[in-house]
Amino acid sequence: MKWLALGAAALLALLTAVVVGPAGFSGEPATVAIIRDLRIPRALLAFLVGGSLAVTGAALQALVRNPLADPYLLGLSGGAGLGAVGAIALHLDSPWVLPASAFVGALAAILVVYRLGVVTGAVLDPRVLLLAGVVVGAFAAAMMGAIMAVSPAAELRNAFVWLLGGFGSASWRSVSVFASYAAVPVTLMYLAARPLDLLTLGEEPATYLGADVERTKRRVYVAASLLTAAAVAVSGTIGFVGLVVPHAIRLFWGHLHRTLLPAAFLLGGTLLVFADALARTIFAPVELPVGVVTAFVGVPVFVLLLRRWPR
Amino acid sequence: MRLGFVGTALAIGVVACTGREAPPAGRLVDDLGRAVALPGPARRIVSLSPSTTDRQFAIGAGGRVVGRTRWCDFPPQAAAVPSVGDGLNPNLELVLSRKPDLVVFYASAANQGVIARLDGLGLGAASVRLDRLDDVPRVARLLGRLTGATARAESLAARFGAELDSARAARAAGANDPTRRVAVVSWDNPPIIIGAGSFLTELIELAGARNVFDDVAQPSAQTGIEAIAAREPDALLVLGEGVPAFARRPEWQAVGAVRRRSFVAVQGSEFERPGFRSLDAVRTLRAALRRSKGR
Repeated sequence: MKWLALGAAALLALLTAVVVGPAGFSGEPATVAIIRDLRIPRALLAFLVGGSLAVTGAALQALVRNPLADPYLLGLSGGAGLGAVGAIALHLDSPWVLPASAFVGALAAILVVYRLGVVTGAVLDPRVLLLAGVVVGAFAAAMMGAIMAVSPAAELRNAFVWLLGGFGSASWRSVSVFASYAAVPVTLMYLAARPLDLLTLGEEPATYLGADVERTKRRVYVAASLLTAAAVAVSGTIGFVGLVVPHAIRLFWGHLHRTLLPAAFLLGGTLLVFADALARTIFAPVELPVGVVTAFVGVPVFVLLLRRWPR
Repeated sequence: MRLGFVGTALAIGVVACTGREAPPAGRLVDDLGRAVALPGPARRIVSLSPSTTDRQFAIGAGGRVVGRTRWCDFPPQAAAVPSVGDGLNPNLELVLSRKPDLVVFYASAANQGVIARLDGLGLGAASVRLDRLDDVPRVARLLGRLTGATARAESLAARFGAELDSARAARAAGANDPTRRVAVVSWDNPPIIIGAGSFLTELIELAGARNVFDDVAQPSAQTGIEAIAAREPDALLVLGEGVPAFARRPEWQAVGAVRRRSFVAVQGSEFERPGFRSLDAVRTLRAALRRSKGR
């Protein structure tokens, strides 16, 4: 029943997103082309990114055993932003340069954070990982500020607008690239569902109960980071989906990752498709950054959820 | 002899009076509604926006500009003036190091703190709003009174005002001519378009075309490719040269003008801010629109 409701909501979201838009909905050739080439890939990309962010958030919350964890916590948005700002400051002029440089920046942040995460020894310490993420994020923000201050490129402001998130540049190409890329980390996280259940009990109990804790931590961390890096590359940083959706599912579905992860994927995708449809229609032809809409929806939902929090 | 002395003294007095530049007549109020405290014409001016720097040189007060922003690139002589960095929320110490008696700001709340400090030091601070073509003569007159270059500022302002009026009249007379509909795409990811709040929309109107986003009140706004495609512009106006890089991306092919490679490219700082050169910009734009029509 719950699955049916989630699936129906997802379908409704996708249908709504395909039907509404400034060009209207009709059988005219021009409108058909717009729906086929812009609206459908945009809705699909929003769904895939929303689902990916929610799964990543759920997995990371289990990994670092912190309910505040979200996909950008580990320095990724900082790294991606630094990549994007750096590319614009260097006047790298290619239509793919913004996503590509953001992806490279995020990968660099992952490498540094991971290296710092194991600095205390051979094991990946979640607490150190959290600190390293915050530190790397702060450093990247400082570098961005420095570039902003000294670079003569007037377009830098646009890098921040881009970083605020959106699906304005969705195409069939970005959908197919993201879908084939995301399949691997999403599957890896799903396969780690059982050890993630154990990990929420604590690392020691998880080890006693037969989980290969170190391998799980590494695999989930790397999968989550690589997935977030790709999400940032295609859509900037979109807050709240990765934070709120996993908590909502836990309240209604329980804590087992075997159901939590796929349910979070569906709800995250649904939420982001609705948010994007709102973002591009409320003030049409002006678009809101989709992160603004997810915050508007996410914060009240989060407040309601807190009232139902198990005591 | 005695009479002669009095006469000479009188004469000197008269010369002194007329030779000395008249202090700003009456109370000068800037575009934020604040009185500008200035005992006489400003002699050392720090100009904190590219358009006011441009304007100072235009009214013949360029020699008194002792500081500018790093964005001030017109006229070329402005490059010789030391830069004090950014114009919004500027570095007060750098500004003061130029020993100004007047600092001209772009009207913005971001400058409030710096303006309050200048007030405390007894230095002149004037904020001007220069966003639209109608602001051009008004601001020129204000700067003329602040610098004592009243006559030249007045004649330039009057001439610009008259030319602007006749350009508008000519546009109104040709209102029924077929109008090319253009969209100005200033950034591609996310797509950012120019709206009615920008002087560029005025330039487009005066050049005999129409901005398809003239219902958007902001100077510029984020939009979507679909919104641009749905408005079906005849051409995209781009600031820069030739065909922009985003024209190669698959998702942009949904816009007819991109598919047809119908771009009108213009460049130059006269398209970045309104000023006395704006009517030249209109002529350049009209010629560019005409050239692209053939394709």
